[in-house]
Amino acid sequence: MDFFGNMITGFSVTLQPLNLTFCFLGVFIGTLIGVLPGIGPVGTMAILLPVTYGIPPTTAIIMLAGIYYGAQYGGSTTSILVNIPGEAASVITTLDGYQMALQGRAGPALGIAAFGSFIAGTIGVIGLQLLAPPLVALALRFGPPEYFTLMLLGFVILTYLAQKSMAKALLMAGVGILLGSIGLDMITGLPRFTFGTPELLDGVGIAPLAMGLFGISEILLNVEMKVKQEILTTKVKGIMPSRQDWAESIWPILRGSVAGFFLGILPGGGAVLASFVSYAVEKRLSKSPEKFGKGAIAGVAAPESANNSAAQGAFIPLLTLGIPANVVMAILLGALMIHNIIPGPMMVKEHPDLFWGVIASMYVGNFMLLVLNLPLIGLWVQLLRVPYAILFPLILFICLVGCYVINNSVVDMLLMLFFGVAGYLMRKFQYEPAPLVLAYVLSPMLENALRQSLILSGGSFGIFVTRPISAGCLLMAAVVLISTLLPMIRKKREKILAEAEEEI
Amino acid sequence: MKSWNLFLTRFAAAVFTLAVLFFSPALVPAQTFPDKPITIYCGYAAGATTDLTARALAQGVEKLLGVPVVVENKTGGAATVAAALVASKKGDGYTLGVTSTAAITMRPHLMKLGYTGPKDFTVLMQYSRFIGALCVLKDSPWKNIEEFIAYARKHPGMAYASNGMYTQQQLAVEIFRQCKGLDFKHMPTKGGTEANTALLGKHVEFIPGAGSHLPLVKQGAFRQLLILNSDKRDPDYPDLPTMKEIGCPDNPANGYIVMGPKAMPAPVVKKLGEAFTKVAQSAEFRKLLDSYDLPYDYKDQNQLAKDIPAEFDWYKGFLQKLGVKKE
Repeated sequence: MDFFGNMITGFSVTLQPLNLTFCFLGVFIGTLIGVLPGIGPVGTMAILLPVTYGIPPTTAIIMLAGIYYGAQYGGSTTSILVNIPGEAASVITTLDGYQMALQGRAGPALGIAAFGSFIAGTIGVIGLQLLAPPLVALALRFGPPEYFTLMLLGFVILTYLAQKSMAKALLMAGVGILLGSIGLDMITGLPRFTFGTPELLDGVGIAPLAMGLFGISEILLNVEMKVKQEILTTKVKGIMPSRQDWAESIWPILRGSVAGFFLGILPGGGAVLASFVSYAVEKRLSKSPEKFGKGAIAGVAAPESANNSAAQGAFIPLLTLGIPANVVMAILLGALMIHNIIPGPMMVKEHPDLFWGVIASMYVGNFMLLVLNLPLIGLWVQLLRVPYAILFPLILFICLVGCYVINNSVVDMLLMLFFGVAGYLMRKFQYEPAPLVLAYVLSPMLENALRQSLILSGGSFGIFVTRPISAGCLLMAAVVLISTLLPMIRKKREKILAEAEEEI
Repeated sequence: MKSWNLFLTRFAAAVFTLAVLFFSPALVPAQTFPDKPITIYCGYAAGATTDLTARALAQGVEKLLGVPVVVENKTGGAATVAAALVASKKGDGYTLGVTSTAAITMRPHLMKLGYTGPKDFTVLMQYSRFIGALCVLKDSPWKNIEEFIAYARKHPGMAYASNGMYTQQQLAVEIFRQCKGLDFKHMPTKGGTEANTALLGKHVEFIPGAGSHLPLVKQGAFRQLLILNSDKRDPDYPDLPTMKEIGCPDNPANGYIVMGPKAMPAPVVKKLGEAFTKVAQSAEFRKLLDSYDLPYDYKDQNQLAKDIPAEFDWYKGFLQKLGVKKE
């Protein structure tokens, strides 16, 4: 079947009233849970799974998929408004998004996040439709050595995240690595740094860590200040992004979309990595990198686009191979299995209406999300007018509940409060939390991939240079490193030369 | 006056409730049980097939006992977090858990937990169990286990990816390796899906399937060669030999069980056991198990009272031989 034939099949399924209704229901629920920190798509989809027993499989998947990509839209809202990332992939959005809100530009920030998400989502669906089968073959070639070198590249890019002091950023990355090593050591199967606490066997959760470091610490910082509600006093300048904003964001959106899509295909932390990488790339390419971290709109546009197209990319391994790239995809796999449908290479042929119907529903769902989210922006911005005395206790309450319900764990709640205080002290002494979180996410993957690679190679490091993809990643990391160091070396040499000339 | 009356009524009710709560395990065992909601701690994540079976059991038992039965997911540490929580509660029948047998027979040998073994629990019944299989790629040259073993003899150092160190599945491969005198490279991963991906990408040559391999077997990507973790052949794949049939020992099958804390009153145990058994044996529940590729394998309290301590001792001896030291 050709492209248009497939699309007609797809839209004829999607545009049925029942499917349209459930598509809307999905993206609506997704937006809501995306806004609430802690309660993520995983929990929601798991709870709603039994509901899908009674409806046709295509309708069920359309709704569940809607919840997933809808949550990616909503996730940025709290990052921008109150500096609390709704999920790991929105951590980086806090850096510039919250600064924009402080400058009274919450509207354009939310607007560009919504438009960027829409564009990225659409690009992601097009990619999913056209490139799915060849990309899977490529993604499968990513074994432990390829992952290791990819993570290494991630760590090199991490150096761009440093906004103030490089030494402090590296120190924070060290703390992140330490936190990431808590839990069951995958290779030996024995616990590390758990101090006999069974809840720590699976490591420190990303939710308590990110919510504590960014959210709770923000509240603590504000509590000690004289109440002078900045956002209330600053006039909210316009709701929609201006022409200038668009000019600054359009390329970051497109670059973020492409990067996100490809990283999303890889199993593991695709969306998180994509958001961090696209932010770092924009900072590097920008003519005014000093604006990043102080409210650069590109710093919101790029990562928000990246995490949305990553969400679409993640469908590829599931729909074409039956491999879930993350927990959300695992739940979708479960939903398909209830209806006796086994995702894999045969699915496109055996259930074309399901495959193309779900893809077509993503176009429709993305459009619904845009229509749904744009009017909401005005409402969210109004939320900032709520006096701090009411807003802060409310946020604290939502964080505590949100953190608890993920694992029904009191330990998680205590951890979040601990990281809240730690984050407060870190900010007081000007240590940035972002390198810590990135290192925390990447280091366990890096460590495991390294040890797995060496098991496969029988202890030889040659495995990293003999495999083409991994050698390519290493080369890129080297180029990035050299490109950062060169200007420094050149400056030093010029200085030495100048000094030498002076001596003559 | 009216409010005073209301206060008195409420006060009396409160005193009565307190009294009931205080004396209930001692004075009113089975006649009044259950008279408040029952909580089941499930050791698996919401949405996992094991969680869905726990929820189906809870729904059925709720109808039979007439009180709400709430499933709370306490994930982590291969179901040991949920088990430790159950062990820490009072044995009054209002706190139960759904875990695997390995959580109480094997994990305590590896690390310090909130319990030391089966003696800290009252096991009510087993409703299903895990059946594993050694899987290779469909386009690999090995058509059966004999060809595989012959190849492995000639080519020491074949690599396999497991769903984790000291998991049921990895231990089975270790037993197979020792039994046939083979040499493998073992690459642990975070779970069954990651191991599947490693095999699909040809980074390893075989895997012990952890459940998530079955869809890939059905769609024709993997071929199963040998049944692991089971003393019986898999009814869905009757042609595959078991470990016993190729002359090897096997580790005990990992059962999915419903259990409570230790020292539960006998009438409560009886009432709960009967209710759970009735639900587990219903056609509706067995259909649910079937749709998740889980076999129906019921065991009652008496059978488990023999099997589980035996399983505990077996793992103790086996892990000692492997040289595993408790952390």
